[in-house]
Amino acid sequence: MNRQLIYILILAAITVPLFLPLGLKHRVTPEVERFYQTIDVLPAGSIVLVSFDFEASTVAETRPLAYAVLRHLFSNNVSVVSLSTLAEGTGLGYNFLSEITEELGKKYGEDYIFLGFRPQYQATILGLGEGFSKVFPKDYLGNELSSLPLAERVKNYDQINLIISIADGDLPQYWVDYAQTRYKKPVLAAVTAVMATSYYPYLASGQFSGLVGGLKGAAEYEVLLGKPGLGFKGMESQSLGHLMIIILIIIGNLTFLSQKKRI
Amino acid sequence: MGLSALRVDLLLSFNTSRLNVLVALLICAALVFYFIRQGKKRKGLFLRPISGLSAIEEAVGRATEMGRAVLYTTGLGKMERVATLASMNILGNLARKVASYGTPLIIPCYDPVVMAVAQEVVRESFAKEGKPDAYREENIYFVTQSQFGYAAAVDGIMTREKPAANLFLGTFEAESLILAETGNSIGAIQIAGTDSTIQLAFFIVACDYTLIGEELFAASGYLSRDPLVTGSIKAQDWLKVVIVILIVLGVVFSTLNLDFLSELLSVK
Amino acid sequence: MPLRLPLILVSCFGLFMLLQFFWQATFLDQAYGEVLDWVQIIYLFTLWVGAVHLIKLHLKKSQQKKKEAFYSWVTLAGIFSMLGFGLIGGKEQGSLFSWIFDNVQVPLQATMFSLLAFFVASAAYRGFRARSREALVLLLVAGLVMLGRVPIGNLISEWIPDLANWILNFPSMAARRGILIGIGLGSVATALRIIFGVERTYLGR
Repeated sequence: MNRQLIYILILAAITVPLFLPLGLKHRVTPEVERFYQTIDVLPAGSIVLVSFDFEASTVAETRPLAYAVLRHLFSNNVSVVSLSTLAEGTGLGYNFLSEITEELGKKYGEDYIFLGFRPQYQATILGLGEGFSKVFPKDYLGNELSSLPLAERVKNYDQINLIISIADGDLPQYWVDYAQTRYKKPVLAAVTAVMATSYYPYLASGQFSGLVGGLKGAAEYEVLLGKPGLGFKGMESQSLGHLMIIILIIIGNLTFLSQKKRI
Repeated sequence: MGLSALRVDLLLSFNTSRLNVLVALLICAALVFYFIRQGKKRKGLFLRPISGLSAIEEAVGRATEMGRAVLYTTGLGKMERVATLASMNILGNLARKVASYGTPLIIPCYDPVVMAVAQEVVRESFAKEGKPDAYREENIYFVTQSQFGYAAAVDGIMTREKPAANLFLGTFEAESLILAETGNSIGAIQIAGTDSTIQLAFFIVACDYTLIGEELFAASGYLSRDPLVTGSIKAQDWLKVVIVILIVLGVVFSTLNLDFLSELLSVK
Repeated sequence: MPLRLPLILVSCFGLFMLLQFFWQATFLDQAYGEVLDWVQIIYLFTLWVGAVHLIKLHLKKSQQKKKEAFYSWVTLAGIFSMLGFGLIGGKEQGSLFSWIFDNVQVPLQATMFSLLAFFVASAAYRGFRARSREALVLLLVAGLVMLGRVPIGNLISEWIPDLANWILNFPSMAARRGILIGIGLGSVATALRIIFGVERTYLGR
């Protein structure tokens, strides 16, 4: 079977559900449940640090994750201090934050702030422990941090209840290595599906308090929030995609076995 | 602050909750330096054969016969990443082979500092081989610090230059399969090695030889037989033995509801 | 001296970072804060190294009479136009810089990433062969996990997602832990070699 045929089959499998929804149901996994509960038990007025640690390439997975997590935080009246440790994540993170806060009627400076981007993530994560205003004297919009009511409440990690890393790489690991090990802050990770499998050791050891992985995780989170969104839609395509790959593997092996028999 | 006051300040301010980490670090350091000394005395320690590394010679030979280039990439890691350092060690050895055969070597870089170091490593290797004039700085260049921009650039180089051998050694993320599949489609022999456990699966499927995790770190010692490197690899092996013993003890004690070992080893 | 100075600097700073992890003193904390600031400043300068090198390389390539010279012009146009738009028009939402990022950069990057879906299929078709018993077990487990991670698995049987989760949480995690421990030890050994001047690869030697 040549490559082009394989690509066409995959394209068909992924695009058909976009026009013909399958109505599949999702079961919530324990790690997503743990993530949800960790946020749900936060009292109103808690402050959570959300870090947009992803690049533009993974926006298809990180957008549903970010939307679900931010909706949950703001619906529970939790204040959000956010930043990005990657240059591309800055504009995207701010866009996601703006969309959700506009939807839920949240006010910049009081309910949320966006600090922006600083290079060298190790130095940034460690520096925040010394002082937020030291690393970010001004926020992404150019406001002095001292002029923002929410920023006045946050000096360093001591005032932060929880750290959430929405990531497509190994940044959550650095939040654990530097923020959790040194400053004892609980860390949650919402990551792309390909990264999720490498973080199960961190979840099992308790270094992550919860883990949401990929579109599936986003879809499960939407189930818990009671608001189906991009995760739900994406999972239908992903389901048929997985099925098609399994069929291709079976065909490949049958071809291989029949060639072996002939020899 | 006077020196004596400084001494008292330091003495009193030791973080006792991290004592276990300090002890572990001292044990690691002791083992590393002990085996480095052993390696120097015995003129090298035994390392088991690593098939991916034996294939490097084959890959360079194939590229020379076909009159095509060798493509080498260190991935997305910055210079402080251990995988990038290990990759530079391998590059030094590879560059010597490439210099002796007169094969072109192309190294597109993701990070400018890595590019500067790679240029220096290759230049040194060509000089050691007695071919300083054959060194081509324009073949080692910075591309972009955008992950998929880099993948697109390397794919473009592969389809245009059609290298006979591709070496992917370093830190890779999601772009690994894009690189490996494109390399496969041009018929190049491919050797990969990364410390990323996820990308290993993609490389194993798409490449001819794969160095798994630590084999990448062992590679530099394997190729150079430098006692400094082989000694520390030996120390790592013994440290693994220690960790296995601690795991077994931990399982036994936890089963018996005795928590003192996990308390002792936890980082507070 | 040219070789000794970087080795001394690396050793001093490496030992200092170790020291401040184990000791907590005011002067150490202050010095540590300074080091973090300097790390960011030095990193920004290294970005300049890359940018200047890239511009020099493509200026040279654009003068050559080769087919690819056109792409060097495209690269240079991209670099300078985005620099200009960002400096003159700003980077806020609604600016030209932001529009190009949202409508050109993001879709291009996402498209490259989405190629993986096709490449995974072709790699799986070509590479996943049951050549041995172990390969067959690997194939079956991979199929199970792939089904278990999508709702279709639950439709076929409730056991599939449970089994997939068990595989991810136990055997897969155990294997990953083993590799992580090995990589961690390699990192510690390499770091010690660098601090004590045994490893000099970063100097190009």
